[in-house]
Order: sequence, then C-alpha cells, then structure tokens
Amino acid sequence: MLIPHPLLGLRDAQEFTYLGDAALLNRPDPAAGEAAFADYVYLRDNPASVHRELWFHEQGDRSWLVVTRNTLTHEILGAELARDVKLGGTA
Amino acid sequence: MTDLIPMGPLGTPDPARATHGALTLTENTALMLIAVATRPGTPAPHPLGLHLPGPGLWSQGQGAAAFWTGPGQWMIETDVPDHAERLRDAIRSAPGARLTEQSDGWICVEVTSDAGAAPIRALLERLVNLSPDQVAPGHATRTLLHHLGCIVIRRGEDHLAVLAPRSAAGSLWHLLSETASRQVPVATV
Amino acid sequence: MSRLDLSQSRDALIDRNRPLSFTFDGRPYQGFAGDTLASALMANGVQLVGRSFKYHRPRGIFSAGSEEPNALVTLRSGARAEPNTRATMVELFDGLEAGSQNHVGGLKHDLMAVNDLAAPFLSAGFYYKTFMWPRAFWEKLYEPAIRRAAGLGKLSMQADPDSYDRGYLHPDLLVIGAGAAGLMAALTAARAGAEVVLADEDARMGGRLLAEGGLLDGAPATQWVAQVLDELAALPNVRLMPRTTVFGVYDHGIYGAVERVSDHLPTPGTRVRQTLWRITAKRAIMATGATERHIPFADNDRPGVLLSGSLRAYANRWGVTPQARATDPVLIFTNNDDGHRTAQSLLARGVPLAGVVDSRSGARSLGEYTTHAGAMVTGTKGRHGLRRVQIRTADGRDSWIPCGVLGVAGGWNPNVQLASHHRGRPVWDRERLTFLPGPDGPAGLIPAGAACGHGSTIAALADGRRAAQTALAQLDRTATAPALPQAEEEPSAIAALWHVPGKRRAWVDLQNDVTVKDIKLSHQENMRSVEHMKRWTTLGMATDQGKTSNVTALAVMAELTGNGIARTGTTVFRPPYTPVALSVLGGGDTGANFRPRRLTPTHHWAEANGATFVEVGQWMRAQWYAQSGETHWRQSVDREARAVRSAVGLCDVTTLGKIDVQGPDAATFLDRIYANTISTLKPGRVRYGLMLREDGFVYDDGTCACLGDGHYVVTTTTGNAGLVFQRMEFARQCLWPELDVTLISTTDAWAQIAVAGPKSRALLERVVDGVDLSNDAFPFMACAALTVCGGLPARLFRISFSGELAYELAVPARYGHALMERLMERGADLGVTPYGTEALAVLRIEKGHAAGAELNGQTTAAMLGLGRMVSAKKDAIGAVMSRREGLAGDSRRLVGLQPVDPAGKLPAGAHLFAEGVAQGLATDEGWITSACYSPHVESYIALGFLDRGDQRLGEVIRCANPLEGQDIPARVVPAHFVDPEGGRLRD
Repeated sequence: MLIPHPLLGLRDAQEFTYLGDAALLNRPDPAAGEAAFADYVYLRDNPASVHRELWFHEQGDRSWLVVTRNTLTHEILGAELARDVKLGGTA
Repeated sequence: MTDLIPMGPLGTPDPARATHGALTLTENTALMLIAVATRPGTPAPHPLGLHLPGPGLWSQGQGAAAFWTGPGQWMIETDVPDHAERLRDAIRSAPGARLTEQSDGWICVEVTSDAGAAPIRALLERLVNLSPDQVAPGHATRTLLHHLGCIVIRRGEDHLAVLAPRSAAGSLWHLLSETASRQVPVATV
Repeated sequence: MSRLDLSQSRDALIDRNRPLSFTFDGRPYQGFAGDTLASALMANGVQLVGRSFKYHRPRGIFSAGSEEPNALVTLRSGARAEPNTRATMVELFDGLEAGSQNHVGGLKHDLMAVNDLAAPFLSAGFYYKTFMWPRAFWEKLYEPAIRRAAGLGKLSMQADPDSYDRGYLHPDLLVIGAGAAGLMAALTAARAGAEVVLADEDARMGGRLLAEGGLLDGAPATQWVAQVLDELAALPNVRLMPRTTVFGVYDHGIYGAVERVSDHLPTPGTRVRQTLWRITAKRAIMATGATERHIPFADNDRPGVLLSGSLRAYANRWGVTPQARATDPVLIFTNNDDGHRTAQSLLARGVPLAGVVDSRSGARSLGEYTTHAGAMVTGTKGRHGLRRVQIRTADGRDSWIPCGVLGVAGGWNPNVQLASHHRGRPVWDRERLTFLPGPDGPAGLIPAGAACGHGSTIAALADGRRAAQTALAQLDRTATAPALPQAEEEPSAIAALWHVPGKRRAWVDLQNDVTVKDIKLSHQENMRSVEHMKRWTTLGMATDQGKTSNVTALAVMAELTGNGIARTGTTVFRPPYTPVALSVLGGGDTGANFRPRRLTPTHHWAEANGATFVEVGQWMRAQWYAQSGETHWRQSVDREARAVRSAVGLCDVTTLGKIDVQGPDAATFLDRIYANTISTLKPGRVRYGLMLREDGFVYDDGTCACLGDGHYVVTTTTGNAGLVFQRMEFARQCLWPELDVTLISTTDAWAQIAVAGPKSRALLERVVDGVDLSNDAFPFMACAALTVCGGLPARLFRISFSGELAYELAVPARYGHALMERLMERGADLGVTPYGTEALAVLRIEKGHAAGAELNGQTTAAMLGLGRMVSAKKDAIGAVMSRREGLAGDSRRLVGLQPVDPAGKLPAGAHLFAEGVAQGLATDEGWITSACYSPHVESYIALGFLDRGDQRLGEVIRCANPLEGQDIPARVVPAHFVDPEGGRLRD
C-alpha cells in the first residue's frame, strides 16, 4: 500500500505502523467517567466502507496521520496530519 | 581536555573506508549533529543565517548544512567544531528553539561516485523504496534501509550520505558495502 | 535425434556454433546456446522426463513455457540442488546437471508405478476418505507415507550457498510481458518519454513472436523484435528486464517481481542468484499472453503428447521436434484453426506429418496434409512414449494411426491471473470460448493483447499500442502512435470440445493426476462449486496452479451441472503467478545480518573481556563475563552479583530508551504521560515514573530526570523504547497538540554505565571533575550535568536498580569504551567488577524491582504495590480506567517466595495454590513471574503475584508446574530480599 503523506508525498506502507480507528483522537474528558472511557478504549466501529484511521510514520518523520481508506477496496481517499485534525476540531 | 580516547561507531580507531567499483564508502566521523526543534507551525529559526529547509529537503549553507526531520524539527550538520559551538549558542538564544546534541547518536557514511550519478542511482534502487525524485540532489529523508531506520541525504548527483543510529553502525556498514559490491559489473559469461 | 536440419531451421534462435554439454539422469547429452533444457532433451530424442504425482505414470514435456505441468526436474547437485524446476524454463548452460523426480528405482522402471494399478482407490477425495481413522495415525503414519509415495522433488537439506538481493523501482509504466502487445506498448510509451520497465519471464524477449515463425513487414518477426529491443535498449527512460517474472499485484500499483539474475549460469560467482523487485508503477500493462489448453481423451498423458502451440514453438524457435526418432510422424488434434497453423509450420520445416484430427465437421486442410474432419482422438499406445493414436472418425469408425508425437490444440486461455489478484473476476466470452480479464481488476492495471483475447499478431500489436495510449492519457502524457508493422491474417475459428467422451481415464490436470472421472466423482459427491472441486480433487493445486487444466476442468463441471461456464466461474487466483523461492522473498539478509543488530558502546570492550552476549530486542547485551576457572554461568553470575553487594560493579545500560523532552509545557505533558506527578520535580532531581495504558494496566516504568526548567530526560525499559516513544508522540500529536513540547530520542547518543555497590561513590569520586558526591551534596535521586576525566561533559544520576548505593553515568557514546576502561582501571583496588544482564536480573529480583516479567500487560499498579503512585489529583493516561471496579478490586499482590527446602528450585511460570487444595483453575491464586538463585539469600528466590499476598507473609503455599510434575512448597516473604528499609541506597 502507499500512504499519501501530506508533507512527504506517497510513501510505502512499510514505513508506517497502524493503530486503528481515528476515534482515538477523541479522548473523553476525565470527568466523563468510566463509562465514557470504556467506550473510548474498547468500542470501535468496523465499517465495510470508508474508514478514518490512524497511521504512524514510524520509519519516516514520526507524524501521526489520519488516513481515510475504503476498507473494501483499500482505496485511500486522503491523509491529514493528526495534529491538524485535532487542532481543527474535525476529528 | 579529557584524556579519554574516543572510539568510532564501528569500533575502529580510524574512519572506515571501502571502494566498490565506482563507489567509495567513507565513514564521516568528523560530522557534528545538532537537533533543533520548535513548536510546529511557528517560523523556523535561522541560526547564523542557516536556512532550515522544508519537508523532505536538505540545504547547504556556510560551514553547515541542515535537513528537515519532522514538523518543526531539523538536524544541523557541520564538521567545524567552532562553528558547531556558535550554532549551539545561536539556537539557544533563538526564541522557542530547543537543542538536542546528536553528534554521538549516529553513524554517517558518505557514498561518492567517480562515475557520475548512475552508480548512486543504482545503489539507491537497491537500498530504499523511494522514487528517484524523493532522493534527488537536495533531498533528505528518514526511511527504511532493508530493516534499518536510516536518514538518506542526497548531497549531490554523485554524492549520497546515509545516517543510521550509532548502535546499528555495523549493520549499516554491512548492508551498504554488500549492496555496493553487488553493483560492480561482472564480466558477462 | 529430433533436431531439424540446418536447412529446415536456419532461423532457429539457437547458436549452433556454441555447443553445450549437459547430463540428464547421469547420461551426457549436447545442446546449443539458446536451448532450454526441454528443447535440448527433445533434440536428443529424450521423451520420458518424469513420473506423475500420484500414479507414477510416465510423463514427457507438455509445453514450452512456465505452464509446464510434467517436466519437473531437479537441477544441479549438492547444496545447490533445486527440485521442481520446469525444464521448459531452464536455460541450458555448459555442465548443467538435471535429474528426473518422483520415482523409486530408475525413471523407466519406477517401482511406485504400482500406484497406477491402485488407481480405483486413489480417486478424488481419497485423502479425506481413506486416512480418517485412527486419528493417532495422521501424523506418524499416513502423512509420511503419502509424502513418500506422492511427491515432487526432494530438498537438499543443506544451507543455500547463494545470495539474493532486493530492489525498488518506480516507473511511470510497467509492461508485463514482451510479446507483440508488450513490445508495442513499451515502444509507444517509451517514445512518449515515459519511464518504462518492460519485464518478461523468458530469457529472450519477443513472446510468441519468437515461436510462430511469422512475418512482420515482410521479414521474419524476430527481426522486428530485435529492432524494437535495440531501440528500447538505447533509450535512457527504458529498463528491459528479461528473466523477470511479475508474480503478484498488490495494492496501489505495487508489483512483486523476481529477476533470475544468474540461474542461467553454472554458478552465480560474485553475483546474486535472484533479485526481488518491488515495483511501484503509476500504471501497468498486463501483456501476459495466453496459455494453450488441451483436450482430455483416453490415455492422453503419454510422453509425446503435448500442446500444439508448444510443438510449433519448439520447431520454429529451437529447431526441434519431440519424437524419439526424427522419422516418426506427427499428428495434430484440434478443435480450432490454430492446430492447422502448427501443421503448416511443421510442413514448412519438413517434419513428417500424419495429419490433423479436427473435431469440427466442416474443417479443411490449410496445406498439403490429411485432415480428419469431425474426428476425435480416443486412445493412445506406447509404454514410455507415444507409438499409436486411435481416432474415431465422423462416421463412427475407429482406427489406429502410427505416430510419435501428438500436438493437442484446445484453444487459448488468456493469462488473466494478475488481473484477478484483487478479487477481480474473469468474465466468460462466448464467442472466443475464453475467460477475459473482468472489469473489476486491480486499479491501474490495463490488460492488452492475447491476455485480453486479442490473440492474433496483428490484433495484439494494435491492442498493445492502444493500452499504452490509454495509460499515457491517464498520466496526462500525449503520444504519437508508432506505426504498426504489417502482419498476416490468422484464422482463429473454434468450436467447443472440452473433452472426448469415453470410459477410460482422460487426464485434465497432468500435474496432480486428476482425470475427467475424478471431476465426475466430485460432482457425484456434491463437491460442485469450483472451489470445492479444486479441494476435493486437488486440481490446480501444485506448482503449475492449473495453468493448463483449470478452465477445462470447470468446463467439464459446467457440463455436468448444466450451469454453463459463465456461471460456474473460476477459482480465485492468488500470487504468486509462478513459484517463488523463499530465499529471494527473504531478500538476502541471512544469519547474523537477518535483522539489524545494535551494539552498545562497550561491546568491543565486553567482547575482549570474555562476555557472553544475549539478544534483547535488536540489542546485543553482555549476559555475564566468565573468568578463568569458571565453568558454569552460575559461577560467573553469582560472583558478579556478590561483587555489587560487597564492592562495586559496572554494567552498560545504554540500551534503556532515553527520550529528551523539552518545552514550556513539558512538565504538564509528563504529568499526563505518567500516572504519578512529575510537575513537582525540581531541576537536579530524578523520579521513578509509572506509565499506564489507557485501559488502566501498567505499561512501562522508568525514570524521569529534570535537567532544567522545561527540560527532562525520560528513560524507558530496553524492550519498550520504541513503543513508549510512539505513544508519547501519539499523546503529543493526537491528544494534546496544544501543549508546546518536543520529543527527541537520544538513546544512541549517550553511553550510560551503571556504577553500583557500596564502593560506587569512592570509584566515581576518582573520575568526576571536582564535584562533591557526598550524600548531602548529591543525595539519592539527584542528577547533574558535570564533567569527568578532565573535561568530558557527562550526566550523573543517583538511581539504583540493585538496591545498593548506585549511580548511572552517561557520556557521549564515543567515549563509552574508554570510560569503561578508565573505571575498571581506577576501581581495581576497590574490587570493581563488570556485570551482565543475568547479575542485573538477580540483583533486581533480590530487591523486588519489577521488570518485563512483572510488567506483562496484566498487572495493575496496586498489584505491584505501587497503587498510591497513581495520582487522583490529575488526569493521566489510564488513570480513569485504573480505578474501575474490576482492576481496583484485583487483590493479587507482588510477593517474594522462598522454597521451604533451602536446596529447592522455584520455576518461573509456576502457578500458586494454597496447601491442601485440589489444584485447578478455580483454586489458582497467582503465578511466579521471576525466579533465580540468590547468592545474597543463598537459596533460590522468586517474585510472583499472589492473591492477598500482602496479608499472607509467612504462609507456606505450593508452586505447581504440572508440565514437569513439579509441586514445590514455598514460604511467602516480602518482595524485598535485600535491605527492605532501603537504607543502603540512601546512605
């Protein structure tokens, strides 16, 4: 697979490690309590279609990316720096 | 001055050197490396006027060079000790800039060709899964060499530098010399 | 001899001036440069080349390419012996040694041929039906027996002496196959300036143009091929890769290919044997051509029966025909016009022709030969090679025709495999009677030429150009189309004939010995979907992956079910297209270079001082330093541990991960990373830090040193260094990007040496430059930047893993070796002793410090006795979940264990039970995490988690290891075997 790194262009997936659902960006407020954290830690959507997910450019610039991928076709629809996504509040 | 005698990453007193056909590998033990970081999104500092380049790039200035290592992060290289000290002072006084000494963190092997760009390009094909424009002259990037995370700097058409974590120096030297030796043409049978 | 006379085959692509010697089954033969092993065997009249997989039937060469099902040979000898190579793909070299496979005794008199008599018992699904009971026989009896009887070649069982390489290419266009379509595509794209890679599995590019003996622009097609290749070779933007098989299509335009760099040479010499290429192409053209299929009839597997198009290729390209004697006539059996092309080619070269048997009733000869229209082949004779063929004519009469070779033409199957690697399903073309690449193939892969049904030369050339133009347009490049060469029309009418009806066995899959009967049985037993049929009959499962049999087999099944071929469909094609050696997939790094090795700065010193090394992740660490007279590792380890307790020891701890954390928000950031509070840490102080996972379990531990305002150094365990860094980057970029903090790994930059033991201060005072190390000036958990040995910048941390007075001293890595020497020299009178990871482990178990075995992802802070470290006053990763009922309620606690019998051993991994209970899951109360012999306690000791362990000190429990029948009584003691009050490390 090729990951379109927003700063470095197309890079082979071998340079990356995969974490999973980009919902991990949305860590609950500590005051939200156990139930909210249980959801955050354990519950993931597993869509057979478009999925936003976290990839780490471990053997590159060590950016965390939010990659939008179709899990059926592996087509990649886009990639953003996770930092920008989080700061932009669009996660 | 300390009387302790330094040892190179390969465990040899003198820098290692090897020639395979048109390619010469030389361990660069004089190189000093200074990591610079700023808050991502803030303007890059210009220590002593040195330009800190954008993603994927390497740029050479007076007595020093620099390459991008990540958002808000660069590595500065110089082989002039006094200049290194002045650069460190300049970074320390630049607002928001952080310095981490990395001179001992890496082994640097310079790969030069006496037959122009072709042997370097052929070597790169066997080393890194990057397109030729990602390793064109003036580019630098961290990537995988086989299973080893390295920094590849294309200093010129006929000049490549590879940096690997110091502890993996032996593995880097092995894979570079092995790969370079395979580029030497064999008389056809 | 069946080499054609020079006058008949002057244009053959062999060099008669370069004879080459080779042996087959030990007998010497001669061939020419340009021959394959198959063509050279034919030239020497060798018809019988192997025995079939299951029935051990005599078999001959069946094809002229990578689809070969029969002619599998073992090439070379000794460590280089390679089983199952296809003789059709082996380029002849001088001194080549090849041997036939799968027989007991000689090839001609194979003792296993009795299997053929047992055929009624070896039908479809016989493995599943026969070898069911008793279960105990599966692995010990049935499998070895089956493997011996039905098998392919044997491995040498010696290490591979050759080397392999890997490489990466990034062309605009990858053209797969250098036949008419591929060459035209490459030429079109190359002239447009695109970066082109042209790969072909053959040693010689040209594909079927080399085999047909046709004309292009009025001259032999081989001349046009040579011209195009010359032009391509001269272009800087083109890379020609003969002997390169593109074996798989992967996501986003990535193709796997193997280049056989030196398989055509006697030995590779200084070259690599093969190279694995990972080709990332913006577009690719699949010009993979087509494979001819046969028509099963009774006893169709005899040596001398082969594909008609291959027969033509042998005659035209190599100037050979496969008879045992040159005078034996050749017969063709066909259901389409292509069979007649072979007859024409053979006639033109003076080969004796017995005629053409054409199943089509209206068929007519295309030359001076007899055509039996509406006839079929119904049987063969000849024990080790074909002698006679039985035909049934249109009017139902049977007759025998003497002949030495039968070419079978059943139509051509486009090689759609690569287009099917991404769930792409081939579609059935009723007119051409072939499967074509479907519309849902891999993105960016454009089929062209015979691979998508444009099989005639003129159509393939045009389609190759069309495909390249399509690719170029998609890449926003314009191309002026090169002119197409003039080519002859080639008739290609076909009428379906999938097999000749009959009662005798008719082979569909020659490699797996699957007959039409087996497919009928599979149907009868309700294994009717193609995927079921494949597994029930093993059809298409071996090295050829059914290239000559799949479509025929599913056509037979479609006939039986009445579902039609389109609905029956094909099995799923997966990589690799042809077999790939595991060595080349490994990419060449073997032995010590299999993966990167990381050496500590004192590695060479340790080597010179008798260290035994152990791999810890990628690191090589000194495990112990044996001294003369020590014959058992325990002697060395006990001595080293005692030296630390009584004097001073040195251990390289560079491998611990070091992360430089800087920025105005560094303290806030670290408060969220660690369960305990860091923000109250003052410059010049170190604190133990505990990291949790977000689910509340313990993740890692280490120290955090504050070097100045907003500047910290975090250490991690050796094994978790990379992962902790990744998690910290996750926190920095994904959770709290608003914090101004930066992270840099400095693990390799500093050589760090632990100086531990009651005399460590005395030793360090001898190397530091004028720094007061007294307990008041530099107390426990102090740190400082200072200089040592006359001005060398260093960092000193007063931290202890052993429980003794101890420090860690860090200097720039290049000075690590010299510092070790200096400390050894200055500490000689203090009894300084280097110690390895074993002694390190003994010391930390004696002190009750948790390490990897305790931090295994199942432990909570409370279990470690560190519950109070999890701050309730602040948010941190894992804080909320660590307080949930299930975790907070876990009552297991870290305890020490000592065997009741002082001479007894305690095994790590043993489970803990109260005395007198029936041992089982319900009564399990914990387990031993770490155990060792303690020279300090002078017995075995252990750490473990025990339910309510903190309240059971003094109790005797049982340590059970049922795997080895152990059940050992042990006393529960505090986890600190040494200095429980902690006085030693603080004084």
